[in-house]
Amino acid sequence: MQRHHYTAMLFLFFALVFSAIASKDFLSMYQPDVLYPSPSLTKQGMLSDYFAAIKGTSGDTPVYYFDSGNPGATILLLGGTHPNESAGFMAAAVLVENARMTKGRLIVIPQACASGFTATDPLEGCPTHFTISTKSGNRTFRFGSRGGNPLHQWPDPLVYRHFPSGQQLSGMESRNLNRSYPGKADGSFMERNGYAFLQLIKKEKVSIAFDLHEAAPEVMIINAIITHEKGNEIAANAVLNLEFEDLKYSLEISPKNFHGLSHREWGDSTDVYPFLMETSNPIQGRLRGVTNEHLILAGNDSFYKTAAQLGNVRITYELNGEPLSLRVARHVQGFRTLVNAYNEQHPENTATVENIPEYQAVLDRGVGNFLK
Amino acid sequence: MLFYLYIIIAAVIAAIVLTELFREKSWRHQLAMVIILIPLLLRIFHIK
Repeated sequence: MQRHHYTAMLFLFFALVFSAIASKDFLSMYQPDVLYPSPSLTKQGMLSDYFAAIKGTSGDTPVYYFDSGNPGATILLLGGTHPNESAGFMAAAVLVENARMTKGRLIVIPQACASGFTATDPLEGCPTHFTISTKSGNRTFRFGSRGGNPLHQWPDPLVYRHFPSGQQLSGMESRNLNRSYPGKADGSFMERNGYAFLQLIKKEKVSIAFDLHEAAPEVMIINAIITHEKGNEIAANAVLNLEFEDLKYSLEISPKNFHGLSHREWGDSTDVYPFLMETSNPIQGRLRGVTNEHLILAGNDSFYKTAAQLGNVRITYELNGEPLSLRVARHVQGFRTLVNAYNEQHPENTATVENIPEYQAVLDRGVGNFLK
Repeated sequence: MLFYLYIIIAAVIAAIVLTELFREKSWRHQLAMVIILIPLLLRIFHIK
């Protein structure tokens, strides 16, 4: 052996060590987040129960059922459609660990895009996990990517053609669950997942459905409730009631020609009233500075603060930050108010959810106080 | 189908880089080669 063979082996050894260290970190994202459902849980299933083709794939995800045993409306709530929008997932987790139904049913899917929880978005430098102090100690949850993991659906096309509308979007949107509805039984990985959700809505005869999101502070649709035109009255009623509580939400009607989104396709394809809610999350924004776990939890960014103070750009950002507790509190309060508004409009088919935390309680005591 | 084609391409490139690593006499070039090798290995083994 010559000298350069020894250096080659030495470098190769270090490359394998670095690969092993990186692999440990990447593979840690495949460890599922643990939730502790409330005693009111009546059944736990999987999304694949509605569409067997996704069984055993990275798209299959747990479904939690809370059945009061009393006839009434069925509510569906999705968190984690975009796994980098943590408040959606955490609000769903708070419901799973606290909710009690006294009328009707509640179905919660905290990690709708399970694939996206196994990777972070490239070039964003985002943390893979965040830790919350809860009643039982520290609990760690994953922070994923906006779309599905490219390892589960690759390559992205140059142009994504939505089924069945034919609408054309950027290629990367082919891995976005919220551009994949109503889905396709023999379509791509994400189209099959979208199809499974539609089967669930139809089979369970869901009356009112929620899809919880977050967006960058500079995005126009922030602190908003977006609904299909048929949910307009319910949403308007809820927005007014939230206004009485000094909580400002804008009401947006789903554009009829913007396809693939839950608030459009669920409403078009089924009898459900769909509602999508957005909060302001600086970690998703382009103006953000240090991108770490603190930014997920505290939502505090000096660059956004400066931008908000200058007022030269339109952003939705509280000067003290947009902490996770505020974002989760808004989602939970929005959910509660919309369900009440639905009940008022449909007295013959209501649902009653109890034991979910009040807005101010989440804000004052933090999200962790409502997790086991 | 395209996904598996991509994995095969990544494996072939990794094999070429590995072969060249042992032929190359400059340690600076060898260092560059192992840096290239890391993402290829992660993709071949479906880790990232």
